[in-house]
Amino acid sequence: MNVRIPILKLDEVLIVSIQWELDDQTAIQFQEDLLNKMHETTARGVVIDLTSIDFIDSFIAKVLGDVISMSSLMGAKVVITGIQPAVAITLIELGIRLENVMTALDLENGLTKLRRELEA
Amino acid sequence: MNSKMRIIVNEHMDAIIEQWIELMKEEKGERFFHFMPQHLVEKTSREFTTLMTSNITEGESALNNERLDDFTEKVIRFGWSIKFVNKAIDNFAAVVFEMLEDEEVITEQNLRIFMGVFTGWINPLRESIIEAYSIKWEQTDTLQKVALQELSASLIPVVDKVSIMPLVGTIDTERAKLIMENLLEGVVQQRAEVVLLDITGVPVVDTMVAHHIIQAADAVRLVGAKCMLVGIRPEIAQTIVALGINLSDFTTTSTLRRGMQEALSLTNREIVEVE
Repeated sequence: MNVRIPILKLDEVLIVSIQWELDDQTAIQFQEDLLNKMHETTARGVVIDLTSIDFIDSFIAKVLGDVISMSSLMGAKVVITGIQPAVAITLIELGIRLENVMTALDLENGLTKLRRELEA
Repeated sequence: MNSKMRIIVNEHMDAIIEQWIELMKEEKGERFFHFMPQHLVEKTSREFTTLMTSNITEGESALNNERLDDFTEKVIRFGWSIKFVNKAIDNFAAVVFEMLEDEEVITEQNLRIFMGVFTGWINPLRESIIEAYSIKWEQTDTLQKVALQELSASLIPVVDKVSIMPLVGTIDTERAKLIMENLLEGVVQQRAEVVLLDITGVPVVDTMVAHHIIQAADAVRLVGAKCMLVGIRPEIAQTIVALGINLSDFTTTSTLRRGMQEALSLTNREIVEVE
């Protein structure tokens, strides 16, 4: 079964809400989808919401990091929102610091932050 | 053999106590016998000796646990060290032994048998006192741990979007974990945008503590808030630089007040005086 993660467009921002634990295949698929979507549209910003994710492994974390670097290569700013405390601790313990990534508490804050960043 | 010893010991109780107190007074480093009022010394000594003799006067297995507990508690309250109590038992045994020798209960012939009786009498006492002490220590230890846990690491919402976590006392790995958990849970729950970690009360910042703080700050950044380190005293600043710890990734200020101002300006607010 091939489950794709929906990517929504709102003005010039792409919104992705990840609702379930990603397996490796889905993660790679998501990476391609997002980059293609970004190419097709005129999106200048991406918000990835992780509120429903309670667990993250090193591969998924790496893919996330890659997606962020690739997006910024394509000229889009990325905000990650809603990282759970447990996930944050896991990431830090894995040594994944996700430097140079904007983060926000929730989608609302994330959008505000992104808009402010895009205006600047 | 035992009954004879018991009778003799009971008869000469006063002399034994007196001699024992004399011996104990010669002990250095313990002020109890010099500074406590005479009647208190007398009373405690009598209690001690009664306890000592209880298992020969009352028979083999009559070492009264409750009384022993009471006595140990008292001794601990007086601040007797375990070394001192041990010495007291030694001295007491020596005095009794000498007395029994003087009374010719112990002779060259039955010395060996008496040695057995003697060890059988003194050792259980010593063991139970040591045990009572270690139980007491363990209790104190757990109590302090619990107290420390209660004290440590609560995130306080000060104003909208700004929270403060004051840290007091030494930070070890266990506590650092607790701090990080409380910090992250608190940030998400209070929807804080800026968190001030106040280390005014942390006596030493070494590489390990710094590492924990950096990790906590990183984790806070991941959940979407900003972490600031405030309350850096001059000596802490000196050690941090001397150890080559790089804290340039996050904002640091010397006092909580300045940190607060910074936090407010980060959230686009300021303090205005009312006219």
